[in-house]
Amino acid sequence: MHPPLSLIWFFLTAGISIGLFNFTYFMEFLTLFGKDTALPKHMVLISNVISLVLIGLGAIGASFHLGHKLRAWKAIKRFHTSWLSREAVFSGAYGFTLLIFALLRFFDHTGFWYHFFGIITFILGWLSAFSTAMIYASNRFVLEWNTSISVLYYLNMYLMLGSSAFLALTYFYRKEFVGTYIFLTFLFLALGLAFRLAFNIRQFYIKRPTINEALNLPHNRPIRVLDTGTTTDNYCTEEFYYKKGKELLPSILPLAYILTFIVPLFFVLYMWITGRVDYNFIKFTFLFIVVGSALERWCFFVEGNHVQNLFYGLYPEEGYTLRKGYMERKKTKISYR
Amino acid sequence: MPQYALVIDLNTCVGCHACATNCKEWNTQASFGPLSDFDPYGRNPKGVWYNRIMTYEMGEFPDTQVFHLPKSCLHCQDAPCVPVCPTGASYKREQDGIVLVNYDDCIGCKLCSWACPYGCREFDEADKVMKKCTLCIDRIYDESLPPEHRKPACVLTCPAKARFFGDIEDPNSEAYRMIKERNGFVLFPDMGTNPANHYLPRTETKVHVDEHLLEAENPLFLEVVRRHYKGG
Ligand code: SF4
Ligand code: SF4
Ligand code: SF4
Repeated sequence: MHPPLSLIWFFLTAGISIGLFNFTYFMEFLTLFGKDTALPKHMVLISNVISLVLIGLGAIGASFHLGHKLRAWKAIKRFHTSWLSREAVFSGAYGFTLLIFALLRFFDHTGFWYHFFGIITFILGWLSAFSTAMIYASNRFVLEWNTSISVLYYLNMYLMLGSSAFLALTYFYRKEFVGTYIFLTFLFLALGLAFRLAFNIRQFYIKRPTINEALNLPHNRPIRVLDTGTTTDNYCTEEFYYKKGKELLPSILPLAYILTFIVPLFFVLYMWITGRVDYNFIKFTFLFIVVGSALERWCFFVEGNHVQNLFYGLYPEEGYTLRKGYMERKKTKISYR
Repeated sequence: MPQYALVIDLNTCVGCHACATNCKEWNTQASFGPLSDFDPYGRNPKGVWYNRIMTYEMGEFPDTQVFHLPKSCLHCQDAPCVPVCPTGASYKREQDGIVLVNYDDCIGCKLCSWACPYGCREFDEADKVMKKCTLCIDRIYDESLPPEHRKPACVLTCPAKARFFGDIEDPNSEAYRMIKERNGFVLFPDMGTNPANHYLPRTETKVHVDEHLLEAENPLFLEVVRRHYKGG
């Protein structure tokens, strides 16, 4: 599948926004149970402003994926069946209630309504994340995505982005929680690595349809694509088969693994084991996760193979190979005597 | 419930692309507005086509068959492209089962094209909306046309008469009869989409080919030479 940059951008902005709010409010929530986890006012406000700006930028960025941006409001009509509709509604509502939450904190209303909007925003944020994940995971014609692993590691990546961003804030405002968040960042990184590996390993075992199944013709006869009707690429081949991406994937996927998981895990473990908490390490952990996640999302799209590619002979033959395994169009060779 | 559809005979389709060309012609001038074309006479011509013809070869040499498969929206009875649309722009009509896109509601999110397992939707870069075969809804109901012309443009133009149109739920229709009498089949039956468009299978033909012809690089060329010397 062709990776739309606007959707990668939305993933990063929404991920940091929702992830960061998640931990910010979680700390506030614990105070309801008598825990000493209340955050200083400016820490909550800084976190909320970052979350608000990011979700706003995310929405603007994601609208570039649409042909008609001004009609985006219409995307509420099929709420009962469309995950995209749900994503639009939940993320919009999340931004709105987040604004109210921040205003309540700004005016020092930290009573019932503060927590009411905190909880609502928390839930809406996760509903929005879940809906986004389901847009991919529910697509049964892209077998690589069509699994609950897609959802689990998608949500986990929000937690990775959120915990590492929150770690940077705690370093300045609630130093006593740095240790906790180093541990949480480590936990979500390790889980993320496990989910990503599971996602990749699964691709070797998917039972893929064949061109015979697509054309509903006898399964014991080989079928080759001779001609696809046009001499150039068209919407279907460009959207669902990204040739350049397939060529780059073997180099970018390992890089994504290293930047998203390996390097940040190294930083976090180093801080954890040595006890030497250095802001540079915290900063770079977050930056590596962000840059790595952008590449990871790019790979996620490129790894997806839509079954419509079968009609063009561009579907992996069997199993999953990173470098080869994509059928080439048959070349006609004419020899003159 | 009526379900209009196309039935395409793979035996007679010669892959001439006349249906695709006439589809483009009709749908560019009729009520749905032009289908975009970029660089039409250049090196990289691109544009929206509702109907594309693929050519496949089946079997192993020398027992091979070449066949052409015209593919437009199959107007699936359980169309997966409809529920995913966030705006309701994609819809399936109750009265005839035709799947359409409302261009005024479409936000161009492309999700419906992701949800079609057949690759039958195309994004129009000029209008920024999703487009697809309309089953020529603007022809089949046009009372200003003579009744025999109230058929899809691709059906009317096919020189090999390989295309049929009708209600596949109505036993009196040509389409229904064709499917029943000649074992019509659908693409990707396992996908749960229940396509309305059907294809009629090819009948198997066996041709005996001499051993020495198989070894020649161009059997036809050899045949010509042989006939020439035999004075045939
Ligand atoms: S062929 Fe594709 S676009 Fe047409 S109805 Fe079926 S799923 Fe929808
Ligand atoms: S591209 Fe248009 S028709 Fe397709 S799902 Fe999006 S809004 Fe609906
Ligand atoms: S039915 Fe009409 S729109 Fe559909 S492929 Fe035929 S000519 Fe094109």
